[in-house]
Amino acid sequence: MMSDVKNMSNFKLKDLIFRNDVDPGDFITYHEQKCNGCGACATICPVNLWSMSQARGGKARLTSKYKELCMECAGCYAMCETDAIDFRYPNSGAGIIIKHG
Amino acid sequence: MQKYDVCIVGAGPGGSMTARAAAQAGLNTVFLERSQKVGEKNASGCGLGQHWWRDFPEIMEQVERLPSFREITHCFFKVTDEDDRLITSLGTGWTKLDDDRIVYKGKGRGMTGCSIYRCDLDPLLADMACDAGAELRTSTLVTDVIKDNGRVKGVVTDKGEKIAADIVIAADGAHSTIAIKSGIRKRFAKKDITLVPQFDFSADPAKMDDVIGAAEQVWFGPFCAAYQVNFHDGFHLGAGQWLDIWSGKRPVELLTPILKIPAFQAMCRAMDARMREFQVHLLPWMPHPSNAGKTYGDGVLLVGDAGGFPCPLEAEGVWHACVTGKIAAEVAAQAISTGNPSRDFLKEYERRWEESSIGEEYHFGKQFVGLWRATAFDPVFMKTMGRFIGEMQSLAFPGPVFDWSTSHMQAINDHLGHFLSLLPQMSAVVPHIKPLGRGISDANRATITELIVGSIKKKVPIIPTFVTRPLVRKMLGKAGRP
Repeated sequence: MMSDVKNMSNFKLKDLIFRNDVDPGDFITYHEQKCNGCGACATICPVNLWSMSQARGGKARLTSKYKELCMECAGCYAMCETDAIDFRYPNSGAGIIIKHG
Repeated sequence: MQKYDVCIVGAGPGGSMTARAAAQAGLNTVFLERSQKVGEKNASGCGLGQHWWRDFPEIMEQVERLPSFREITHCFFKVTDEDDRLITSLGTGWTKLDDDRIVYKGKGRGMTGCSIYRCDLDPLLADMACDAGAELRTSTLVTDVIKDNGRVKGVVTDKGEKIAADIVIAADGAHSTIAIKSGIRKRFAKKDITLVPQFDFSADPAKMDDVIGAAEQVWFGPFCAAYQVNFHDGFHLGAGQWLDIWSGKRPVELLTPILKIPAFQAMCRAMDARMREFQVHLLPWMPHPSNAGKTYGDGVLLVGDAGGFPCPLEAEGVWHACVTGKIAAEVAAQAISTGNPSRDFLKEYERRWEESSIGEEYHFGKQFVGLWRATAFDPVFMKTMGRFIGEMQSLAFPGPVFDWSTSHMQAINDHLGHFLSLLPQMSAVVPHIKPLGRGISDANRATITELIVGSIKKKVPIIPTFVTRPLVRKMLGKAGRP
């Protein structure tokens, strides 16, 4: 019976997130010049879309795969104090599907 | 360009209830949903409180028949310590007196709410709006508003389509494009919004009935707090934190400590629970919607999360969205019939919801939010809080009866000593609790006064009650509730 709770320590978030294959468009616009390197976006993002880049002078970097991974919570947009992140929802009918919300 | 009387953005509960009320009022109504299917973008609790039986009983009769429905009459707090041991369980009560505060079709509903998945609830409410005559358009993302001389006259979709309307009603959630683009407010300030990660678990329904029954749970410990909302065949485990006090933790780390608790794992084993989905959403949580700005603009009204309406005490938002949606539709109908959808007229919306049962929720909003921020959302405080609750229960019935470690009176004194030693650390909550006394009604104040006056008379008969009564009244103060 212990196997029933096993996935609680070994779960992978990506196995627990669902989306359709409609093109979501460019729904996050990142203005690197406005970034102050605070790292709030990298902390809040539930799926690690943002990383702090030494190569870019400590500024945030948005993964090129964000369209396939984003959970559409807008947490990064809500956290960014320098307005470096613009967020709008993915295109009509695209993006994440919450089956049991 | 198609033209409607009202265009509602969003087909969550708030949007659908607005659309239904607007269509019922005879307005030419359209409501727009960005997803392909209503109810597939939403991750809320989702609990419907007892007041649903008072305000929307005919809808509750249909909700009861939905597949994920679970009746809820109780909530249990599971308090754990830093070693993940269960310290105690606290529970809500259930009495006939309380039950009968809301009676529907001869049955007491005053203590009866329910949990329902949004993928069940949202389509039901959207269908009801369509049955009333509203037009639903799915796969329709709104990216901007049409403005004319500062007044909002419609919306623009991501495909460039323009939809004109006399009044636009924003039911588009915490990150409301309409609220921002119409210039009513900016995004919510970090102190007014929380991020809520949540796991959905599947579970065996019959085993859930036996193990959990008609109850929600809250896990309470050094990790802060996590709610467990129980549905027919699964449950949500979720937790939130305000963005301005967000620690260095990743969102999922608000939940992983609960997964390790043996009592949680035992519960999962007992009802064959398995992790099924991970969800995350922004949840506005503030003392009063005015914290974020106005809830209306020129040609625009904000309902539900878009207006910052969730309850300041427990962040319930679906009922608030539905009630504000209904009021918004009524005000919109009035504005359209008088040919005046101006900002000045729509101000009426704010006056109406302030006077409604929704408005009443914010009278102590500042204290409620302040209390949470100082307690259940502060991990440092929660370490002490767990011990405090443990000692409190050790002193309360049946604690002392079952402590056989030493003589009973010695045991009571041990626990009392620990309890008293923790009191100074608990003083942080006093400034938030004390003002709540203003909420005690005049009738209850009068009863308390007579109890104290009667007790003094019994002990010191020589002092007449015409002397003690005014003194006690003065001591208790006046009810500060409007």
